[in-house]
Amino acid sequence: MKNTALGKALGTIWIIARKDLVVELRSKQAFLTTLFFAVLILLIFNFAFPTGSQATREAGAGILWVALLFPGVIQLNRSFQSETEEGTLYGLILAPLDRGLLFLGKCLANWIFLFCIDLFVLVLFLVFFNFSFGWHVLWLLLLLLLVSIGFTGVGTVFAAMLASLRARDVMLPVLLFPVIVPIILAGVNAAQEVLMGGDQEFFRYWVNLLVAFDVIFLSAGYLLFEYVVGE
Amino acid sequence: MAASSQPLLRVTGVTHRFGLVTALFGVNLEIFPGDFLAIFGPNGAGKTTLLRVIASLIRPTRGRVEFTDGQRARSQVGYVSHQSLLYPDLSGIENLVFYGQLYSLPNPRERALQLLEQVGLSSSAELLVRGYSRGMKQRLTLARALLHEPPLMLLDEPYTGLDQHGARLLTSVLKSLRGQRRTVLLITHNLREGYELCTRMLIANRGEIVFGARREDLDYPSLEARYFEAVDD
Repeated sequence: MKNTALGKALGTIWIIARKDLVVELRSKQAFLTTLFFAVLILLIFNFAFPTGSQATREAGAGILWVALLFPGVIQLNRSFQSETEEGTLYGLILAPLDRGLLFLGKCLANWIFLFCIDLFVLVLFLVFFNFSFGWHVLWLLLLLLLVSIGFTGVGTVFAAMLASLRARDVMLPVLLFPVIVPIILAGVNAAQEVLMGGDQEFFRYWVNLLVAFDVIFLSAGYLLFEYVVGE
Repeated sequence: MAASSQPLLRVTGVTHRFGLVTALFGVNLEIFPGDFLAIFGPNGAGKTTLLRVIASLIRPTRGRVEFTDGQRARSQVGYVSHQSLLYPDLSGIENLVFYGQLYSLPNPRERALQLLEQVGLSSSAELLVRGYSRGMKQRLTLARALLHEPPLMLLDEPYTGLDQHGARLLTSVLKSLRGQRRTVLLITHNLREGYELCTRMLIANRGEIVFGARREDLDYPSLEARYFEAVDD
């Protein structure tokens, strides 16, 4: 596969993602901050809601996604902020590669980081709010996977768009969250079904919706990235 | 005299606006293979914008930039600006290998080692760029720009922030580029450095090219006089 066009494209995506992973693992700036913020949110909700109560079970899905998505904005912002500090974004843009692949590479690195943080946060969430570790955790993992793909897909495009703005830290969540409302809605409703032991049919419906949004958002990001970083 | 009658690059009627501000007004320019072209001008003359338009980093509002062999600009230029375009948390060699892979070089590590040797950074190859001095960074930046052996080098104020030693090292690398008959477009405030390196020079002011000459047709005092005359207008 190495010499086919697909193999070459996958190789390029991995080169870009691996560079981001190495840079972040060495600096640990966004990873630790994002993780710390997520744990802090869980702790605050843990103090606010009595453990094991019906109210906590009902609010559980919302708490989980707030703890996962809001800190994720830090990671997204950082992924392009670091590219503007030394002008390396110009270096990437000047390279003779499909800018859609650049998007997928940045997106993959963001997704790997966020998914690692998500796994940690999920374990803490189950412990803090007294949810059992059973088969339903696998369904929650599936939801984390799907929501984080859509979230990083849209987030990477917006982070690139805002990279050169001084107010990017403020602007990113303001622009990002309205666009990913369908993903958040699907994630919250599906997680609610899992945590409350609800209807499998509803769960499947929301999962299908998430898959559709992921495909749409990733395709749009791939196609639009050329124009996003073009100027 | 230009090294060839067929230009490598032709800029035709390029105008660029940033909102209400017009940075370039209908600039026309031809760069020939082997030219070492220096563009002088005060701040706000549009020099950096012109370079970015040539590098295809920004699209001109009007006009055209074309390489006469029909290639896309991205594979044709090596770009050096006052920013290093290097990752501080990667080592010197990791930076070069990364860019080499993006340019699909057949053996990026070998090429990186060769360039590190050329710019005198072999012994610092494994150090993180974060620990490099400004001069070392600038030499690594040049190595990065030369990785894919681009036909045209674009240098935007490469002397910015360099101490005397760093400036001398940079000058020696640029002289070796001139010796190799590479095509170079250098933007600088430093008339003396630019004059000594170039084969052709232009003066830009307020978004226009207001003066041009070959080096052999103009001595340094005349360039200075022309520069201040053009800029004070």
